[in-house]
Amino acid sequence: MPPKPAASEPTSAVHTLWKAYNENTSDRLKFIDAFLVFLMLSGIVQFAYCVLVTTFPYNAFLSGFASTVGQFVLTASLRSQVNPDNKNEFKDVSPERAFADFAVGSIVLHFFVFNWLG
Amino acid sequence: MLSLHTFLLFFLSLSGLLHAKSSSGDSVLVVLEPARQADFSIFFDGLKEQGYELTFRGPKDEKPIVAEHDVPAFSHIIILASESKNFAKDITPQSLVELMSGGTNLLMALSEKQTPLSSLASEFSLILPPPGTPLVSFFPERKDPLSMIPIDAPVDSLILSPKMNPVWFSGVPHALGSNPLLVPILHAPSDSFAADTDSNADALVDAAEKGGEGLWAGSQLSVATGFQALGGARATWLGGVDMLSDKFAKKSKAGNKQFARDVAAWTFQESRVLRIDSTTHHLVNGTTPLEQYTINDQIVYTAQISHYNAKTSKWEPYSGITDMQLEFTMLDPHVRTALLPVAGSPGTYSVTFRAPDRHGVFKFVINHKRKGWTHLFSSTTVPVVPPRHDGYPRFLSAAWPYYAGAISTSVGFFVFSAAWLAGESRESKKAKKTQ
Repeated sequence: MPPKPAASEPTSAVHTLWKAYNENTSDRLKFIDAFLVFLMLSGIVQFAYCVLVTTFPYNAFLSGFASTVGQFVLTASLRSQVNPDNKNEFKDVSPERAFADFAVGSIVLHFFVFNWLG
Repeated sequence: MLSLHTFLLFFLSLSGLLHAKSSSGDSVLVVLEPARQADFSIFFDGLKEQGYELTFRGPKDEKPIVAEHDVPAFSHIIILASESKNFAKDITPQSLVELMSGGTNLLMALSEKQTPLSSLASEFSLILPPPGTPLVSFFPERKDPLSMIPIDAPVDSLILSPKMNPVWFSGVPHALGSNPLLVPILHAPSDSFAADTDSNADALVDAAEKGGEGLWAGSQLSVATGFQALGGARATWLGGVDMLSDKFAKKSKAGNKQFARDVAAWTFQESRVLRIDSTTHHLVNGTTPLEQYTINDQIVYTAQISHYNAKTSKWEPYSGITDMQLEFTMLDPHVRTALLPVAGSPGTYSVTFRAPDRHGVFKFVINHKRKGWTHLFSSTTVPVVPPRHDGYPRFLSAAWPYYAGAISTSVGFFVFSAAWLAGESRESKKAKKTQ
């Protein structure tokens, strides 16, 4: 097999990573990742609007941005707790318990977000 | 006796209906040498016909006193004893000024001699020529002495009737200081000058040599001047008593009788008297005055103004003021706007304006001072506050990206949770099947 040109190496690395991700990740984790990407994009859009257009009303920016960031953190922790690879790390946290924690945490977060929004 | 009393009362009330009366009272004190009373009978009879009650007093008489316990005893005082150097001890320049601040109107005449009234005149910003120099004029050519001058009434006078015959004058002129409260009534003719009657030609020659310096001449001089005090009282200075005398009033084609009537009507507050009946303020879509307003509120301010009608002795709504202004001030006027009459409702002046974007203690101020008219002043204090915590708009269009972000996160959370739980039940079913 002739060696590939050096320029295509990073492309192939990303390609390999993407292939490995597709093959080795369960549907459940992929679903969580899709939600995480959505939250990240939403947060980026809000931050860009704040920087480029207006910070007024600042409380609305804070609550909107904090809701995406907070939801991202909660979802990320859910992902690490339900990942079968991390079973040894979270021995006494079952996936059901992890989802319950995530749900309660999110509800509290959204309660504060909507209080601070208007 | 009782019937006589009621009859008198009835007669008085009837005379009140029939005759013009002043808006500030009918009692008049005339300070005059008793021997000269007959010289002014036309003027005095005219006043009596108008419904005034005249009380005569010699300049040195002790009674009746002008003020008892600091309360003025008369509504108006006429001082025609212009030549007397000594007055009774209660008639001094100080006491007259005090009476004026108490609301008493004064009609005074000057003479070419140095008297207490001359020093009072300078307090009113009237500048008198040196003693012994009456106004003289060689024009128009006439048989009368040089110091008896017919003066044409001004065409557009605030106080005198239009189309009046010339007013005969004999006395001293005065120059006017810069006091804005002075109301010139009658100016000296442009070809007249103040000079000693015996040597007037010399005075002219002397003045001509000096280029006119020191000569009291021309139409800048005044022979009758009014003064509207800040307290509402009025004072009128005449250059000489003879303007009111029978001798001048009886001259052919003399306007002196009408002049005396007009000057007395203005001085005694019959004509050009205004007052503010009431002022009110409210929000544009409200009716009752608020204790405080919020910044940027739309406020309606309304004033009701009346004019005294001497013919009926009644106050009538007056819509004739076109240059009145309303100020909304906190130290400086933050808003100054025209306060115009409202068409269709007489006497009402109204304006709608936006309160400034500034909180503090503000005042609605009407401060309308015009020559010849009563001064109008009204001040109402209202606080202007910032909006309450719930007085701001709650949802702003600028914040829609943030609202959308927060709502989409919540919706995403619910959709995610629902899908997660659905997937879990499907998996458990799958697990059961495989078992």
